[in-house]
Amino acid sequence: MTATLANAPVRDRSLRAPLTGLGTLVAFFLRRDRIRLPAWIAGLSLYILYIGSALPAIAPDRETLKSMVTLFAEPVGRMFTGPAFGMDAPSYERFFASYYAPYLFILVALMNIFLITRHTRAEEQSGRAELIRSNVTGRYAPLTASLVVAVISNFLAGTAVSLVSVAVDFPVAGSVLVGAGTALTGLAFAGIAAVTAQLSEFSRTASGLAGIVLGASFVLRAMGDMAAMGGSALSWVSPLGWPAQTAPYVLNRWAPLALSLLLALVTVTAAYVLQSLRDFGASLIAVRPGSARARPSLGSPFGLAARIQRTSFFGWGAGLIALGLVDGAFMQALLDAGEDMPAALQEILGSEELVSGYLAFLGLFISVLITAYTLSAMQTARGEELQGRADLVLATPVSRTSWLGSHAAAVAVGAILMNLAVGVGTGIAAGVVTGQASLIGDSIAAHAGLLPAILVLLALWVVLFGYAPRLLAPVGWAVIGFVAVLAIFSDLLDLPRWLVQFSPFAHLAALPQESFNFTPVTILLVLAALGGVAGLFGIRQREINVT
Amino acid sequence: MNKAPVIATRNLVKTFGNTRALDGLELEVTPGEVHGFLGPNGAGKSTTIRVLLGLLRADSGSAQLFGQDPWADAVPLHRRLAYVPGDVELWPNLTGGEAIDVFARLRGQIDHRRRDELCERFDLDPTKKARTYSKGNRQKVALISALVSDVELLLLDEPTAGLDPLMEVVFQQCIAEAKTQGKTVLLSSHILAQVEALADRISIIRSGKIVETGSLSELRHMTRTTIEVETSRPTTSLANVPGVHDLSIKDGVSHLLIDRDQMEGVVQALAPLGVQSLIAHPPTLEQLLIRHYGPEAEKDESAPRGQDQ
Repeated sequence: MTATLANAPVRDRSLRAPLTGLGTLVAFFLRRDRIRLPAWIAGLSLYILYIGSALPAIAPDRETLKSMVTLFAEPVGRMFTGPAFGMDAPSYERFFASYYAPYLFILVALMNIFLITRHTRAEEQSGRAELIRSNVTGRYAPLTASLVVAVISNFLAGTAVSLVSVAVDFPVAGSVLVGAGTALTGLAFAGIAAVTAQLSEFSRTASGLAGIVLGASFVLRAMGDMAAMGGSALSWVSPLGWPAQTAPYVLNRWAPLALSLLLALVTVTAAYVLQSLRDFGASLIAVRPGSARARPSLGSPFGLAARIQRTSFFGWGAGLIALGLVDGAFMQALLDAGEDMPAALQEILGSEELVSGYLAFLGLFISVLITAYTLSAMQTARGEELQGRADLVLATPVSRTSWLGSHAAAVAVGAILMNLAVGVGTGIAAGVVTGQASLIGDSIAAHAGLLPAILVLLALWVVLFGYAPRLLAPVGWAVIGFVAVLAIFSDLLDLPRWLVQFSPFAHLAALPQESFNFTPVTILLVLAALGGVAGLFGIRQREINVT
Repeated sequence: MNKAPVIATRNLVKTFGNTRALDGLELEVTPGEVHGFLGPNGAGKSTTIRVLLGLLRADSGSAQLFGQDPWADAVPLHRRLAYVPGDVELWPNLTGGEAIDVFARLRGQIDHRRRDELCERFDLDPTKKARTYSKGNRQKVALISALVSDVELLLLDEPTAGLDPLMEVVFQQCIAEAKTQGKTVLLSSHILAQVEALADRISIIRSGKIVETGSLSELRHMTRTTIEVETSRPTTSLANVPGVHDLSIKDGVSHLLIDRDQMEGVVQALAPLGVQSLIAHPPTLEQLLIRHYGPEAEKDESAPRGQDQ
C-alpha cells in the first residue's frame, strides 16, 4: 500500500505523458505517406469524375437510363451494388449513388485498413516502432498519431468526393452526404483496423482480420439489399450498409451515419483498451511451442515455399469458400425474384439465362479475387527476399530459379485448388437450395473456365519479380484494380474495346452462359507458360536483395 | 595436399549507384585455414561475402570459390559451403528445430545426432517458434545449421553478434573442431579476441580494398612495439634516437613506441640510463586495426568509403 502511495506522483505524471511526441509523429507519418495518401484521394476523385462524365455518354436519354436501371435494381444487381433507392425516377446522380458509391465506400475502407496497419502493427513487427517508443514518446502516441492521420485523410477524401460530385453537376446536398458517408465509413474501418492491429503480432494477419470484417460487411449488406428493394434488417447490420442507407439524392438521410460514427468511437476505444492490456510487440493471442523437427516435406524448395504460403492460402481460401457458399445459397431467392420480374424482362433473361448469367458472374468475381490472392502471395515471396530469408535459402544448393519457381508453383497450385473449391462450394450451395444437381457442374465450369486468365496474371507477377521486383506491388495492384473494374462494370462503363481486351478475363468464354472456346484457353495457357519461363530467366540474371 | 586457394578474388569491384562498395578487392584464403576478415562497418565485408555467395554480381574483376565462379556455379558451390549472416531472419511460424532441418536438408542429408548435440551445446530450445527467439537465439539457429552440415567452407559474417560470452566460448570450440576436420573458414568479425584466438591469417579491409593481409605475427612486424621503462636518469634524450615515437613520461615511467627495425639502437640508448624495470609488448590487434582505419589512416587516404550491404 505504501508503494502505491509512493508511486502516486509518478502515476499522476503518466496521465499526461501517454501522448508525448504526438505532433512530431503525425508530421512524420504524413511525411511517410506523402505520395500514398494523395494518390488514394486522387484515385477516388478520378473514379467519380470518370463516372460523372461517362454516364451521360452511355445513357444519353431517360429511356436508356431506365432500361439500365431495371437490370440493376434486380436482386442480383442489388447484391453487388446497393439498395437501389429512387430507381422509380432514375437520374445520373441517383444511378451513381446506387451503383458506384458502394464501391467508393469499399475503397476508402481499404485505404484505412492499410493506413492504420502500416503505422501500427507493421512498425511494431519490424522493430522500427521500438526506436520510436524508446524515444521521448508516449505509450499511446503512435496509435493516436495513426488515427489522427486517418481522420485527416478521411476528411480530405470526403471533401474531395463531395467537391468532385458537385463539379460533375450532381446536387449539392446529396454530394455532401456521399462525401460524409465516405469519410465516416473510412473512419469506422480505421477503428476496426486499430482493433485488429492489437490482436495479432503480424501486420499481414492484422490487415487480413480487418479485411475479413470488410468482407463480412459486404456479404451482410449484399444479403440485406438482395432481400428487399431499399434494403432490409441485414443491411442495417453492415458498416457498408449505413452509407448506402443515407440514400443520397433521394431521401438524403443523415441518421445512418451516426451508426458509422458510433462504430468508429467504439472500436477506437476498444483499441486503446486492448493496447493497454498487452506488452509492446506482443499480441493478445499466445504463441504455442511447435515441433522440434521438420517434416520430410519441408526439405525441398517447394515444400518450404508451400509452408511459407500456407497460412495466407488457408485464410483466403476459407474466406472465398464462405463467400461462394453464401452466393450459391442465394440461387433460389434469385429464381423467386425472377418470377416476379416484369414479363418483358423475363423474356430477355428467362430463368435459364438468369441462373447461368449469375453463375458466370460469380465465377468472374471470385476469379478476380483469386488473382488478388496470387499477387499478395508473390509479395510474400518478395518479402522473403527483402527481409534476408531468401539469402539463407539461396546460400544452400538452391538456385534462384528453383527458389522463385517453387514459390510461383505453390501459388499456382493454391490458386487452382481455391478456384475449384469455391466452384464446388458455390455449386453445392446452389444445388441444395434449388434441388438442381446440375448446378454443381455449371458452377465448377464457371469458375474453372477462368483459370487460364488467373495463371496468365500470375505469370505477369513472376515476370515483374524476375526483372523489375520494385514494380511488383504498384503495377500488380493497378492491374488488379483494372481487371476488377472491368469485371464488375464492363457493360456499364462503355469502355473502349481495345482497353477491355487488355484483361485476360475478357477473352475467355463466360461459362456456363457462353459455350466453351478452346482457342483463348490455349493461347492464355501458352502465354502463362512463356511468362513463367521468362520470369524465371529474369531472376537468374538479377541480384538478390540489392537495396 | 591441394594448395589451390579456396577463395581468390582479383581486382574485385562492386558499385551501388555512386558508392564503390568494393574497390579492387584482392582476397585469398587457402585450404584448411581460418581466415579473419576485419574492417570497420561499411568497409565492404558483407558485400564481399554476398558476392562470394553469388547473391550479388561483381561489376569487374574476378572471384573464385574452389576455382569456380560463384555467380554461374552457385548451386554446385553451395553444396560445399555453409553461410551464417550477422543478422539472421527466420520464418516466424517455423520452430528453430524446423529451420535447422530445412537448411540441412536443402544442403543434403542431416545428421540428427550431431544436430541434437549442437542444440545441447548451444543451449537452444528447438521447439520454440522463431518469432519468440531473441537475436542471439536466431543466430544460434544459423550457426547450428552451418556447423551440422558436412561442408568444406564456412562463410561466417559476424556470426556471434548477439551471443553471450558463454556461447562465444562454445563457438570458438566448434570452429577449432571444424579446423581440425580440415574445413576452411572465412570469419568476418568485430570481436578481436575471437579473431586472435582462431585466425591463422588475417585480412584487413578498408573502403573496399584489402589494406593488409598476413598472419598475426607477420602483421605485428609491420607495427611498432610498445615499451614502458623505468630509469634512474631522465629519458628525454631518447626523443632524438631514430625509431622512437610518441615519447611520454608519467610518474617516472617513460612510454614509447619503437620501430621494430630500430630496436637495437634504442636498447643501446636505453642501457646507460639505468634501467630499473622494462616491459615491452608487441602490438595488439586493436593497435593494428587502429593503424589501418583509425583517424590517422583516414588522413593518409582520401578514398571514398564503401558501404556494407
